[in-house]
Amino acid sequence: MFDAGIKLALTLSQIGVVMGVVLLTVAALTLLERKVLSWMQDRMGPMEVGPYGVLQPVADGLKLFFKEDIIPAGANRIMFSLAPILVLVPALIGFAVIPFGPDWTVEVLGVEFKPFVISDINVGVLYVLAFASIGAYGIILGGWSSNSKYSLLGGLRSAAQLISYELNVGLAIVGVLLLSGSLSLVTISEAQAGGFWHWYAFDPLPFPQFVAFVVFLIASVAETNRVPFDLPEAESELVAGFFTEYSGMRFAFFFLAEYANMILVSCMSTVLFFGGWHAPVPFLQAPGDFAWITGIFWFTVKVYGFLFLFFWLRATLPRLRYDQLMRFGWKVLLPIALGNVVVTSILAYIFPNS
Amino acid sequence: MTFKKWIKSLIFFEILMGMKETMKHFLNYRPITLEYPHVKKSLPDNYRGMLGLLRYDDGTEKCVGCDLCEAACPSRVIRVVSAEVPGEPTKRYAKDYDMDMTRCLFCGLCVQACPVDALGMSQEFEWAVYDKRHLQLNKQQLLAIGDRAFPEREKRLEFQHPNVAYFNVSFKDIPEKEC
Repeated sequence: MFDAGIKLALTLSQIGVVMGVVLLTVAALTLLERKVLSWMQDRMGPMEVGPYGVLQPVADGLKLFFKEDIIPAGANRIMFSLAPILVLVPALIGFAVIPFGPDWTVEVLGVEFKPFVISDINVGVLYVLAFASIGAYGIILGGWSSNSKYSLLGGLRSAAQLISYELNVGLAIVGVLLLSGSLSLVTISEAQAGGFWHWYAFDPLPFPQFVAFVVFLIASVAETNRVPFDLPEAESELVAGFFTEYSGMRFAFFFLAEYANMILVSCMSTVLFFGGWHAPVPFLQAPGDFAWITGIFWFTVKVYGFLFLFFWLRATLPRLRYDQLMRFGWKVLLPIALGNVVVTSILAYIFPNS
Repeated sequence: MTFKKWIKSLIFFEILMGMKETMKHFLNYRPITLEYPHVKKSLPDNYRGMLGLLRYDDGTEKCVGCDLCEAACPSRVIRVVSAEVPGEPTKRYAKDYDMDMTRCLFCGLCVQACPVDALGMSQEFEWAVYDKRHLQLNKQQLLAIGDRAFPEREKRLEFQHPNVAYFNVSFKDIPEKEC
């Protein structure tokens, strides 16, 4: 009973820390995205609140908090309230299986405790994929229950897009799963120890998963509804897509969920293809008990690198047309991902122990 | 050629070129933004801003109530009610001079039409108001705009010629006319 209490307290504090860090990162990202985007477009971005606009997320949060919460006439009130929660919770819950540091087990008051991963479940990848799909329900519900044409179109687009691109995400991951022989994200990131030539994106033997990584990246951009695949919220066509009718904190939930999804996808590609918390070359990793410091550092660097890539793509690319998006997903990415699975499995059979 | 194109599409060549371009702008960060309320743009001299009524140096109004501005105005902004100057039957002035600035398109035709240079376009443009009625200006407001926009009442160049200068001065000291 005492042990269970300790365990619960430890896990809850861990969840609190991870949630806090993620939400703070979301707040930082809203500013960072606007800054990066505006710098790439020869603008300045937010400059008014605080020095160089660094307090803009605080101002945005306060503004959203005090906004009137409007439920449009004719909207399904229950579904309308449920949708933002159904989007945000799966986006945050995925972080439970992400390893942020070394796979250590420490004993706190006689209770075994893994400090750098909330829960090392053996189907971690499937767990993340499953919850990403549940997030789509929130988007579809939000689009449908708003009683607005734009929202409905956005929701429908999101549904169709998610189905076609989630398949590619899954198939791109299969190569990594074949190589590591595990669905646990902790095992996958531990298997990539010792330099960037052991990361699955570059590991020469049996087969580098770089193609799978590119497929995964494109598909995850589509899955998080980011430019150039932001058709569910296409501003120029659908006002704001599925959250046209939302305001105040409900809108903020959608906003948070979008950024949390971005962070989650970046964490996933870091863990699956870029060695998780491992340093790119072994001498950059602190020895022994201090490995967690460099571990968290390198993990953060990689995740922010991917997030920067998201912003970079957004600044560069225009939005795809809907048929182009579907054609690209089904006719280009899917065959490539399938081919990658075939080649990887054959080569993994030929070189079993590398 | 087709093989080259195929390779290019395989490695997302165009997208990479585009990303190179955006990264170039990111690294050489030279914003073209003018932070407007803090930094104000210097306006050209012939900027057509808010209209104002002008006075002579001694403080009398230039306007003689001739209605030419009203006739010139394409959007019917101006309403002039002309009247005799009390006690001076030869002189006229504008008893009422109203402008509905919500309709004004700042073409400057009234300024050109004015024979006595009584109208001027200032450099003011920050005239956003919460009530539309605040933009329906009367004579006092227009004179105030003119006073603060043109503290030195220089004659326009075309009105400095002595042949036309007759209208452009106070009635008190009429200059000698050159033949």
